[in-house]
Amino acid sequence: MIAAVGLLIGVLLGLVLQPEVPIWLEPYLPIAVVAALDAVFGALRAFLDGIFDDKVFVVSFVSNVLIAAVIVYLGDKLGVGGQLSTGVIVVLGIRIFSNVAAIRRHIFHA
Amino acid sequence: MAAEHDTPGRSTDGAPAAAQTPAPAQSQEQPPEQPPEQPPAQPPVLAHGHAGPRKPSRPMPEPPPAAVMGLLNYLTATSLDEDYAHVSKQRAAAGVRPKKSPGTVGLVVLAVFGVLVATAAVQTSRNADESASSRASLVKQVNDRKAELRAKRARAAGLTAEVAALEDSNLDATTQGRAVRSRLDRLGVIGGGVPVKGPGIRVVVDDAPGATQDKQQVLDQDLQKLVNSLWLVGAEAISINGQRVTNLTAIREGGSAITVNFVSMRRPYTVSAIGNKNQMAAKLLDTEGGRTWLTLRASFGLKFDVTSEDSMTLPAARPFSLRYARQPERLR
Repeated sequence: MIAAVGLLIGVLLGLVLQPEVPIWLEPYLPIAVVAALDAVFGALRAFLDGIFDDKVFVVSFVSNVLIAAVIVYLGDKLGVGGQLSTGVIVVLGIRIFSNVAAIRRHIFHA
Repeated sequence: MAAEHDTPGRSTDGAPAAAQTPAPAQSQEQPPEQPPEQPPAQPPVLAHGHAGPRKPSRPMPEPPPAAVMGLLNYLTATSLDEDYAHVSKQRAAAGVRPKKSPGTVGLVVLAVFGVLVATAAVQTSRNADESASSRASLVKQVNDRKAELRAKRARAAGLTAEVAALEDSNLDATTQGRAVRSRLDRLGVIGGGVPVKGPGIRVVVDDAPGATQDKQQVLDQDLQKLVNSLWLVGAEAISINGQRVTNLTAIREGGSAITVNFVSMRRPYTVSAIGNKNQMAAKLLDTEGGRTWLTLRASFGLKFDVTSEDSMTLPAARPFSLRYARQPERLR
């Protein structure tokens, strides 16, 4: 419940404030969102597994976002930014899919 | 000896050593004289401590799962952060009841996540708007400039016509003017500055059908010979595919096409020459260029058709200005 409220507050804040993203941060925002999505789905699965932990969630969220952004930044500096972003997206996508599958098993028992 | 007693007992049980009593261990284990008979799944730590003779076929220590599973399987298997399991295990060991729902920190983090998602979405849609609007403005600019160009061209054409009309009326006003004007007209016909009309012959030349070699194709030198021969038999104005041949015209091979007045020609080549339409054709076949072309037609199958025309109109050459050539003294 509290999670949904938090999410709602965040989305509303973002839509109302429409913060200006600095131009140098712009390439890293989408990948950071995907990394955050992975952390959130992981947390949801852990919650349904009954092993959720605040601290682990926060740490995994922040580290996911930062690492994803840093990897893309590094790739940009090395000239392989596009390929590295693809790699990050693939890995995070697989994790999100399998986490969502586990969540689905929890909810629908199927 | 004591180590050897312990070792097989542990590996068969898989339980901590502290939990087992010496007596069942003694009963289960094989005689101590045969240490090589130990089960293969022995923990590596114990293998190091073991002092007995080593079998050459002893299995390597089990590699970590990440090394054997393959990347995709590993990713799928560890899609949940292991920290959750780790922390919950620790907590169970410490006897603390696990929290059931995310607290304030979780709320804040989820709010941050929401802001991130909303910002990314807003940014993406904003960028799409920007690129769409910039494209629209570019299209508008192009169209505006095109309209401007059209208007200016129309104005230029109008002004040219006006200048010509004024020239005409000025020259017609006096006798001297009329003389200058007829001279101008004659020079224009000769120099290619004005269109000309009159009888003449039309020569159509083309590559041989299905030409593969150079000899079966019309080359720039073939056209040059033809044009020279036409001048020779009394042509007064010549054009090739609508390009007037003047004293500044070059006929040459430019890349894979023949260019006349630096304009690329396409096959077939129609050479129109104004002159005596009854004599020129016959005379042409008598010249060296004409004979060359007859040979080309007979030997290589090139097309070479000469027809007489009662009236042809050849276009004017593109206007050009002389920047360096001057008369030695003014003409009176």
